[in-house]
Amino acid sequence: MSDNSNFDAIIIGGGHNGLVCANILARKNKRVLICEARKECGGMVNNEITNYVPPVTTAVSSSLGGMQVNYLPKTTIALSETGQHIRLVGNQHIDHKSISTFSSQDADRFNDFHEKMSKFSKTLGSFMMASPPRIMNNSFSDYFKLFKLGLNVRLLGKKNFNEFARMIGLNIADELEDNFENTLLQGLIAHDSVIGSNLGPRSPGSLINLLYRMAIHNNSLFGGIFQIEGGNDQFTKHLIEKCKSNNVEIKTSASVKNCIVEDDCAVGVELINGEKVYAKKIISNVDPRSTYFSLLGSQNLDTDVKRKIKHHRSKGRVAKLILDLNKLPSFNNCDDIDLDSRMVVAPSIDYIEETFNPSKFDKLSLEPTLEICVKKDSDQNPKLDIQVQYAPYKTDQGWENVKENYIESIIKIISKYAPNINECIEHKKLITPDDIELEYNVSGGHWHHGEIQIDQLFMMRPIPGASQYKTHLDGLFMCGAGTHPGGGLTGISGKNAAKAVLDDF
Amino acid sequence: MTQDLRYSALKKTPFHSRTSMASRTNKYYNWNGYTVPTEYSTTELEYTAARNGTSVMDLTPMGKYEITGDHAHRFVDYLVTRDLSEMKDNTVAYIIWCNEDGKVIDDGTIFKFSSTKFMLCCAVKIYNWLNDSAYGFDVSISDVTDTIAALAIQGPTSCSTLKKFGAEDLEKLKPFEMREYKIDGFDILISRTGFTGDLGYELWTDPKNAEATWDNIEIAGKELKLRPFGMHALEMTRIEAGFIQTNTDFMAAEDSLRPTRMRSPYEIGMGWLVHLNKNSYFVGKKALKKEKEESTTERCLVGLDIDGDKPAHGSVIYNSKKEDIGIVTAALWSPIMKKNIALASLKRPYGIKIKENIFAEIYHPEELEYRKIWARCKVVKRQFFNPERRNKIPADLYE
Repeated sequence: MSDNSNFDAIIIGGGHNGLVCANILARKNKRVLICEARKECGGMVNNEITNYVPPVTTAVSSSLGGMQVNYLPKTTIALSETGQHIRLVGNQHIDHKSISTFSSQDADRFNDFHEKMSKFSKTLGSFMMASPPRIMNNSFSDYFKLFKLGLNVRLLGKKNFNEFARMIGLNIADELEDNFENTLLQGLIAHDSVIGSNLGPRSPGSLINLLYRMAIHNNSLFGGIFQIEGGNDQFTKHLIEKCKSNNVEIKTSASVKNCIVEDDCAVGVELINGEKVYAKKIISNVDPRSTYFSLLGSQNLDTDVKRKIKHHRSKGRVAKLILDLNKLPSFNNCDDIDLDSRMVVAPSIDYIEETFNPSKFDKLSLEPTLEICVKKDSDQNPKLDIQVQYAPYKTDQGWENVKENYIESIIKIISKYAPNINECIEHKKLITPDDIELEYNVSGGHWHHGEIQIDQLFMMRPIPGASQYKTHLDGLFMCGAGTHPGGGLTGISGKNAAKAVLDDF
Repeated sequence: MTQDLRYSALKKTPFHSRTSMASRTNKYYNWNGYTVPTEYSTTELEYTAARNGTSVMDLTPMGKYEITGDHAHRFVDYLVTRDLSEMKDNTVAYIIWCNEDGKVIDDGTIFKFSSTKFMLCCAVKIYNWLNDSAYGFDVSISDVTDTIAALAIQGPTSCSTLKKFGAEDLEKLKPFEMREYKIDGFDILISRTGFTGDLGYELWTDPKNAEATWDNIEIAGKELKLRPFGMHALEMTRIEAGFIQTNTDFMAAEDSLRPTRMRSPYEIGMGWLVHLNKNSYFVGKKALKKEKEESTTERCLVGLDIDGDKPAHGSVIYNSKKEDIGIVTAALWSPIMKKNIALASLKRPYGIKIKENIFAEIYHPEELEYRKIWARCKVVKRQFFNPERRNKIPADLYE
């Protein structure tokens, strides 16, 4: 077993960002240990939680020495009760044709809309891949980065610049209603703008969410969505294999109790079982709230930092329903190829907004917005993997009392599109945000370890003063989704954090 | 005391019936939402009582917070810059506390009853700060400003006055110690603390006991030159003692709008209260450590001995090349020192390495005309007045 004294770095949490970070450090000849609380690494990138992934960026892939996994594109289908589904693949011509069967006006406008959004997401994207600047520390490179973003935005031209400024705080519903007449198309794009967040389509700021999502997914609305051949967990399996070949040590079932602080500097970690491990750098892949309040400890924090972390918004709003099936249900007007796509139940903006409304009051909507993927379990039996948007973190009646009802209401919605669904179900499992919190050790059970909203982005992610992967404690870094650029399974947080750590050696 | 706020926006202290009876001038001001006298008769007379007899001041408006719970001691030690880990029960400590940038929020005194019960007293309201700081500690914080009546009994005969009032063996109480008494059926806490730089005590009791306490102290001090004194006289004595006043000598970090106006402890002469080698973390430690290591301290707060007899209120301080190097934050002609003294905030190295050839530009008002005086200053110790009787044990007694 490992000798506990001379690690260069300990990474707390073996999610994908932690694995990326570990590999990059190990490739620079650092001796790295990963402490993972669960039985296996991978965090939320697995066949249960993850429906699809963005493409891996060349920056991440090259810093890992290449990624040998196969990305298969995933079509998106907006399901309609009438069977008039919209199928979108992210190709300009195919999508134009697909939409024009409903409205030729919408089809033309879709292309313009897509072009505009794509331009803006590229502008944002150029800013998203690197470590964000810090405004207060007077460093030239930080000012240069800010200048570059300003310049990029300005280079969009006066017209686009004004449009960009207009859109930053806008809600997605207004923008969609201005552009499209088909409510199903409106619903689909609105769904993708709010998925994973605490915003409704009419909440201010829901548009930037979409730009952010596009920046991760090839600057495309529907084109950058992939699944990995052999299952999404191949992504983490591959990263774990790389860890082995790079001599990264991995301890599983090794829950970290707290950081060991000596002389106001993080020097190691203490595990739940009392074991102490020391290293030069400690890197937390855990969400910001747990990193600060559990690992660092509130007795080591300044009051203002506590205030900021307390205000950090990280309550998840997505539940997962997994239906094990004996056979595939027949979805109205869908063929076998369609069943391999991402099927979205969000018939209109108002439908989504009405799903959102009760969640604000910790209540459940019995007509939830859904995203359905067909998968196979290890025995090749089919299963439906359903992402349920706006399932509150806690319900006013307590999850255990309402779970059954909620599951039934979801199945009822699905039966509108797949009438024989009930005959196919063998087993049902609902994973609520507070289940995710417990199972994956993410406070609030939020996918992205914190809301992706303008006040929690860039140099404000996770909180001002901790934005360059450093925490307020010397020697303790963060590499999780709570840091810039945030969740979305890109691994960029892990990559950028590794660079910040290497710069600090 | 419940009050009908329809008639007055400002609260009255439990001593109000007595302080208003003693007031000959009707001069009041608003301290933390309470109305309290600035002057009862003449400030000079009140000052003289404080330096030669006993002076009594209503301290009730001072922010008072009770900190209780299993982590009370740990929390207090975390809150302030001073190392309080060894603090003993029934003692009081002078403290300052900072924000995350290591800038001073306020100064005050902390009273330790036991390791699970403390009381913090300070000039301004800081409930939110305490509450937010306490997150993660097993403590509860309550604002007891309204539920504790407080008096300052200061001056050379103050010990004798309080002994006659019923505080037995009070002369044996050491500076920064406190003792609980039972007088006329009421609990009274007396601490040997104060803001005048002289022998003096502070007295803490139930508001119901306030009026009787005031009356009995007045009777006890009758032959001992007792006089109520107001804020103006206190201001004179505290400058002589070299004590600093928040938002007068420095801007409280939470109140200043301009970040450059915030001051670190090192910039207001409070470096001695910062214990960077404290075992545990405290709020602002990281920033203060950095300031100390990188020697980035920009200013200092010093005492000035100024030529002439015209007080240098608000004067700008210059070097010999007439360059602006600082400002006077508080000034007076000290009757007891017979000196023209001031506290001044100077840009380093002035005040630290350069102590000579410093000048104050004084504008002295003379019946609607200003006389401009260019006065030479000398940097001196901020504690201008520090009589032996202040810390003497046992304290001086008079008949």
